[in-house]
Amino acid sequence: MGNLTVEFFEKTMRNPVMNASGTLGYGKEIESLWGIETLGAYVTKGLSAEPHHGNPTPRVWEERNGMINSIGLQNIGVDRFFDEYFPYFKKRKTPVIVNFFGFTEEEYLACAAKIKPDPFIVALEMNLSCPNIKKGGISFGKEPGAVFEIVKHVKGVTKIPLVAKLTPEVRNIVEIAQAAHEGGADGLTLINTMPAAVVDVKSRNIPIRGGLSGPILKPIALRAVYECSKAVPIPIIGAGGIMNTEDAISFFMAGARAIQIGTATFVDPYAIPKIIRGIGEYLDAHGCSGIGDIVGIARD
Amino acid sequence: MDDIEATIIQNKHIVSNYYTLKLRLSKSMGRVLPGQFVMLKIPGNEVFLRRPFSIYAYSNNTLTLMYRVVGKGTEILSKCPKNERTLVLGPLGNAFHIRKTDKYIVVAGGIGIAGVHTLIKRLGKKASIFYGCTNKEELSLINDMLHLNPMVSTLDGSCGFEGNVIALLGGYIESTKGEDRQIFVCGPAGMVRNLQKLIEKDRTPCQALVEERMACGLGLCFGCVIKTIDEKEPYKRACKEGPVFDLWEILL
Repeated sequence: MGNLTVEFFEKTMRNPVMNASGTLGYGKEIESLWGIETLGAYVTKGLSAEPHHGNPTPRVWEERNGMINSIGLQNIGVDRFFDEYFPYFKKRKTPVIVNFFGFTEEEYLACAAKIKPDPFIVALEMNLSCPNIKKGGISFGKEPGAVFEIVKHVKGVTKIPLVAKLTPEVRNIVEIAQAAHEGGADGLTLINTMPAAVVDVKSRNIPIRGGLSGPILKPIALRAVYECSKAVPIPIIGAGGIMNTEDAISFFMAGARAIQIGTATFVDPYAIPKIIRGIGEYLDAHGCSGIGDIVGIARD
Repeated sequence: MDDIEATIIQNKHIVSNYYTLKLRLSKSMGRVLPGQFVMLKIPGNEVFLRRPFSIYAYSNNTLTLMYRVVGKGTEILSKCPKNERTLVLGPLGNAFHIRKTDKYIVVAGGIGIAGVHTLIKRLGKKASIFYGCTNKEELSLINDMLHLNPMVSTLDGSCGFEGNVIALLGGYIESTKGEDRQIFVCGPAGMVRNLQKLIEKDRTPCQALVEERMACGLGLCFGCVIKTIDEKEPYKRACKEGPVFDLWEILL
């Protein structure tokens, strides 16, 4: 099989495929099915400076062609992750992207500052979909000005490359991408889940409000990758409804340099290894020497 | 663990909205422990997340599930014909821990019987079984364990004790006071809460098999949590740390 290796922020990854944050637990959970080193990089469950308990159930709901989750960012905190889980990835020589969040700017800064550079940390991935509790609960990621500010401030406390993960629920995602770039972001992950709700007609209530993911998101994500990769020069990680190899290839063609797989893993826990193999086969069949040969070819 | 190809060899309606599904697996699932479950792909393209089902029985690559139609997934499943192909991931989750004791008490309500069925098979005559359901017809769910003389209750009083199974259990708990007992329970949350209240004073050792909506079944998504007394980390995954929990550690 052809060479799937990619360089990301001067680090080498075996392939351009990652899990989406929060869809592969703390990493070890998949061990009985396939090796974590299969991944180009493992993206951590969203971590915060202090642990979070998360939301009551129901936390997951299936919709037509999509899934809604309301996990509530449950996590053990960044310190415990590095004590208990990070050594495992180093031992398995698996690069890590550390997804993190906060509900105030201080929390983002505190979390980012706690993460020390390491040969196995490729980047920090900043979840910008969180509500800013000091600004009436509006997400950090909704206004270009706020995005510029928080990215710039986080860049000030870390030497690790910073990837901003953007919410699709904005007026103009290109504007947000540009603001993140100007703030100093080294890359973007496009896109996070879309806020959504379910009405249960039988019980006449709303059992869940949360983030919509899955196949229904794919065209929205593709458009974001396409538009933003035209507008900013930093690498883009595509995410949103990638269920199979063809979906994955379409994200590269739209301009993504890497991809993340989330909901597909719940449908088929072998989706990630299957898609990695599929990308290799695609490149071989089309005489490509690497993924770079197809990145952006549908766009340019 | 492999994603195992399976063929439906029987999908039988039992009574009201209860069914049993027999699957022939293309290879062995390995050792199955009482309390464990599988994630089953619902045939067709209408729903895409797998659904969790307790392992009702398993031997020689034949897996039996007992299920109740509760939503879209199980409704589609109930209409699947023989020979339909699907996928099974399992066995998943922890298991009932059987400690040597004088008295084993197994309590189940409704479809909860599916969760304790392999446990009952394991305990055999050593188990005192308490089963509660809506009416006489639904007692056909425990047809294969009548020789174990289960105590039954029906809400409409059409057979056995009239009322809920915890009220029926109350007398037995009283009469076996002081004995070393171990209780296993699987049923609706209200029933398990009532059991908690019934044995609150003695805090009789009890393990509860819980049910939650799941997405992955593997501990990946943290979707199926149950609240526990652990103040530092209250929400535990039903699929990973469970589905069997110490009754005294969960908050229902």
